[in-house]
Amino acid sequence: MGRSDLQGDSRRSRTTHRFPRSVYGDGAEPDPRFSLANERTFLAWIRTSLALLAAGVALEALELPMESAARAVASVLFVLLSLLAAVQAWVGWMRTERSMRLGRALPGPTLGIVVTAGVCLGIIVVAAGFLLR
Amino acid sequence: MSGDAPFDPGLQPERTLLAWRRTALALGVAAVAAAAFAYLAAALRYRRTHAALTAAARLPGDGAALAAVAATAAMFALGGLCYVGAHVLR
Repeated sequence: MGRSDLQGDSRRSRTTHRFPRSVYGDGAEPDPRFSLANERTFLAWIRTSLALLAAGVALEALELPMESAARAVASVLFVLLSLLAAVQAWVGWMRTERSMRLGRALPGPTLGIVVTAGVCLGIIVVAAGFLLR
Repeated sequence: MSGDAPFDPGLQPERTLLAWRRTALALGVAAVAAAAFAYLAAALRYRRTHAALTAAARLPGDGAALAAVAATAAMFALGGLCYVGAHVLR
């Protein structure tokens, strides 16, 4: 790394503050294409969160012809998964960006597995609710 | 319903219905405005990103917009939880 690079970095860190500091306070700038891919993954989780919210609210709002206990369980489950997906969007983006800045291995899909399992469970509950009626 | 006399000569229930209707319309307008804002902000973010990448091969933004979007989605989810919870417990 040349002298001008070092000067550029120190000037940037003095004059600009990028939020959140837990991500940008450390490490080196990754390939911008990787950061953009991370941003797209974040947006995909946000869309997932909104879709799960729509599913959970629709189950109750439309009063679909299914067993009412199963409908209640499924709709609460989908809305909780929506909240979890929004958390995963932000936490996953932060952890991934930080790992890339530090040159570490990317984090595993921790909450993603919980959301996936929850969606599978929700589908089973909805199917059971239709069959039990 | 047709031919019924109103319950209250002051039309309180009907005026309340109209108040709910304009609140619903205001919510719709707010949602459209929020969508338009996000759409324009995305275009500006892209323009800024493109300029910075072609000039210095470096991304200009940070996580502030992402944090705002994630917080909004989480608030929607909490609102949905209130709605579904009230519906289920009714």
